[in-house]
Amino acid sequence: MKNRLKVLRAERDWSQEDLAKQLSVSRQTINAIETEKYDPSLPLALKMGRLFGQCVEKIFTLEEAGGRRAN
Amino acid sequence: MYVMSSTLYILTCSLYYFPREGEMSLMRLGKHIDNAMKDVKTAVDETGSAVEETRRVYGLKLLRAGLLWGSTYMLSRGLLELPNLAVTVRVLIALVPVPVFIWFLWTWMKGLSEMDELQRRIELEALAFAFPIAVILLMTLGLMELAIPLNPDDWSYRHVWALMPALYFAGLWRAKRRYE
Repeated sequence: MKNRLKVLRAERDWSQEDLAKQLSVSRQTINAIETEKYDPSLPLALKMGRLFGQCVEKIFTLEEAGGRRAN
Repeated sequence: MYVMSSTLYILTCSLYYFPREGEMSLMRLGKHIDNAMKDVKTAVDETGSAVEETRRVYGLKLLRAGLLWGSTYMLSRGLLELPNLAVTVRVLIALVPVPVFIWFLWTWMKGLSEMDELQRRIELEALAFAFPIAVILLMTLGLMELAIPLNPDDWSYRHVWALMPALYFAGLWRAKRRYE
């Protein structure tokens, strides 16, 4: 799953630590999500959507087999 | 958040510095926004420090429980080496580390409930790595015991159980590395 978390965070000039604090998770979790090593749970994804004022599909996109993105 | 707060603060200050007619309500509004932003910043800082505090306290509690359990186990092992102890006393000494270990496990499980979702997943992956290997080792040991006579001073449950936490830590290291 691809995500725009790093871009959204950079737009707001937040560090990973800042974002982690706002979502009540560890900085390692934010780093793992940004580097696409870990897909967050639905509640955490929804919290991110609410924090960035965007729907979850705008932040996370499912990559289909063959590298094509699906919304 | 901090940049927004600072910007609002500067705007608010500029309104205070150049008060003109009709801007008094703006000054009040700016002050309210500034206070609200300060409250949000404080709340965010408190949440973050609460998470860090939980991790710190949980780590110390687990270490304390682990050290106590380890000491109790070593003491029990030492006492059981003594000759001329009654069977009842020997059994009681052997059971002493059990409640301490249960306390250690309870501390660990309580800590798990306070972890965030990635940390819980790392713990789960560590156990998923350690458990099947421990089963394989125990099964192999059981079959080898039937196949050939094993020296109980080298190959017994009191030697093998220590492999289980070692496997868990290996699994923990492996899972942590995956998400780094």
